Amino acid sequence: MADVVLKNVRKSFGRAHVIHGVDLAIGDGEFIVFVGPSGCGKSTLLRLIAGLEDITSGDLFIGGERVNDLAPAKRGIAMVFQSYALYPHMNVYDNMAFGLEMAKSSKAEIDAKVRAAARMLQIETLLDRKPRQLSGGQRQRVAIGRAIVRDPKVFLFDEPLSNLDAALRVQTRIEIAKLHTDTRATMIYVTHDQVEAMTLADRIVVLNAGRIEQVGTPLDLYHRPANLFVAGFIGSPQMNFIPCTVAEAGQDGIEARLPDGGTVTVPVSSEGVRAGAAVTLGIRPDHVRLSGQGTLTGRIELVEELGENHLLYVNVGRERHLTVREPGDARHEVGQEVGLSLDGGFCHLFRETGEALPLLKPAGFPTSRPSAASTSIA
Amino acid sequence: MSGAALQASAPARETMRGGRSSLTRSRVRAAWIFIAPTLIVLILIAGWPLARTIWFSFTDASLNSLADYQFIGFENYVANYDGEWFGLLTDPDWWHSVWNTVWFTAISVSIETVLGTIVALILNASFPGRGIMRAVILIPWAIPTVVSARMWNWMLHDQFGVINDMLLRLGLIAAPITWTASPDTALWTVVMVDVWKTTPFMALLILAALQMLPGDIYEAAKVDGVHPVKVFFRVTLPLIKPALLVAVIFRALDALRVFDLIYVLTANSRDTMSMSVFARQQLVDFQEVGLGSAASTLIFLIIALLVVITMVAGQVRLSGEVR
Repeated sequence: MADVVLKNVRKSFGRAHVIHGVDLAIGDGEFIVFVGPSGCGKSTLLRLIAGLEDITSGDLFIGGERVNDLAPAKRGIAMVFQSYALYPHMNVYDNMAFGLEMAKSSKAEIDAKVRAAARMLQIETLLDRKPRQLSGGQRQRVAIGRAIVRDPKVFLFDEPLSNLDAALRVQTRIEIAKLHTDTRATMIYVTHDQVEAMTLADRIVVLNAGRIEQVGTPLDLYHRPANLFVAGFIGSPQMNFIPCTVAEAGQDGIEARLPDGGTVTVPVSSEGVRAGAAVTLGIRPDHVRLSGQGTLTGRIELVEELGENHLLYVNVGRERHLTVREPGDARHEVGQEVGLSLDGGFCHLFRETGEALPLLKPAGFPTSRPSAASTSIA
Repeated sequence: MSGAALQASAPARETMRGGRSSLTRSRVRAAWIFIAPTLIVLILIAGWPLARTIWFSFTDASLNSLADYQFIGFENYVANYDGEWFGLLTDPDWWHSVWNTVWFTAISVSIETVLGTIVALILNASFPGRGIMRAVILIPWAIPTVVSARMWNWMLHDQFGVINDMLLRLGLIAAPITWTASPDTALWTVVMVDVWKTTPFMALLILAALQMLPGDIYEAAKVDGVHPVKVFFRVTLPLIKPALLVAVIFRALDALRVFDLIYVLTANSRDTMSMSVFARQQLVDFQEVGLGSAASTLIFLIIALLVVITMVAGQVRLSGEVR
């Protein structure tokens, strides 16, 4: 078990700078998820921690030891690859035992470890099979088993569920969560799927273009996004954004003027905001309410039925659309005019720079848990 | 949709005859039309000469009177006149050429496989100028054998050759060596030139196999802390084995038929004579078409036998998955 600390870690491939100075402290036993759009550097960051890529500058500590110059095998890590990376010519048993054999463990010790891992992952009956005789889910279990037998201080997962179908993904996700509960090992998990991030993580690290945008608990990110990027990235469907101007900046919040005249008072700190400044108002689809006399009116352009709820895409004029999520079956039709009310207590305001204005003890938001370890944004 | 499919299936069933739908029959017909040209060409250029050679091997035909011959059964292979044995199977020269060929094949293909693997591993690594290297290394393979054999002949010349000159200057030898004429060095010289010429081909086949390997297992091996040498023997080699064996069979087939290299380098020397050189000598120099055809037929049988043994031993499936 170990903590992982990154200090101003940078990575360039030739002239291309991929990671721009990442500072991050991951606590012992923590489950950290790196999430971000493709090409944001999340996989590269994981490979830097694994030692599969060299760190260009900065320091990486695992369990207090600086490991920049240690080979992957010496870092006390185990990695599960997206493509499973099983040795195709070896059976399941040998796939799991190979690394241990190379580490010169005794036959009996290897056997005990492999069988224990196989029992844990319920692949005992598959030990004689070759990877090509296994399903995707079984292969992924073998890959996880191979990581477990190494008894690592830190588990690294590189999009381990991307190649599985939806049902299997949910099942394996639960198993990985259980593995974390059982082993209490530090885990770093890369995904582009925010549902995986939200459900698995103790803390989520949102990355964009090689920089950390925000670090926090899943609900922290959901309720208190630090900037427009995080607000737009976390939550599905995406948060609605409406460009506004500041009508009045007061003690209790900011009165924002919508493009077509209506105003919403959002309880955020108005420090350093002057009337007339351009801001962006954000509100999640769940928080927009249909009402006869709303702040906005628009015409329904599309209805998506999801069963437990439905989505309405409302054109509010000037080529702008708002997404509304309503429970149950749709009671509206395409083409219908509806009024939308925006409750200021559920809204976020972002400066022109994209930075979020701090919320003032918001009514509709639960207070977030304190984070386990200190972090900073580079 | 499903309604339309049901309607369509009814007339389709009517056209079924003998358990085959008209669609299947037209596909089979198309398949035959497409393979027919290949089959015809194969019969003309491979089947016919082979059949004719086998037929001649049972006759006493001679090169100056090809039309006038008699069927003599197995007498070209083995015959007994007045208690004395004649025929190919009792000819020590023939067996010597068989031995030469097999020895040449075993040694040269082994060296080429090892060197080819090493070269392929080097070319598989990424380094600047790799693309150019891959092209450059093929040059020996691209030169016609007769040309490269002539070139080596001159380089290996006992009096004027550059190789003797270099070795003398370096003090490695005291007197010039007659590389291609001395019984001690002749066959080794042939092997050396063949290795020079054919290693690139081997390297290219093995390189193709290496590039099929998934890169992620090497990263997994890195995380597992497996030494690169161990990775080669425990991971790379087992995975390229099928392709490697196919490459070895290709090369062995070529080597067993070796003719031009040996003929140009050492002419009809008995020390280096291969089966093909022996057959040519019978056919052309001695004008014994019957005996030469018998030798050719035996070459065909020996090669077929050795390939079958290799494939069974290596469990190679030429059509199987190469991974």
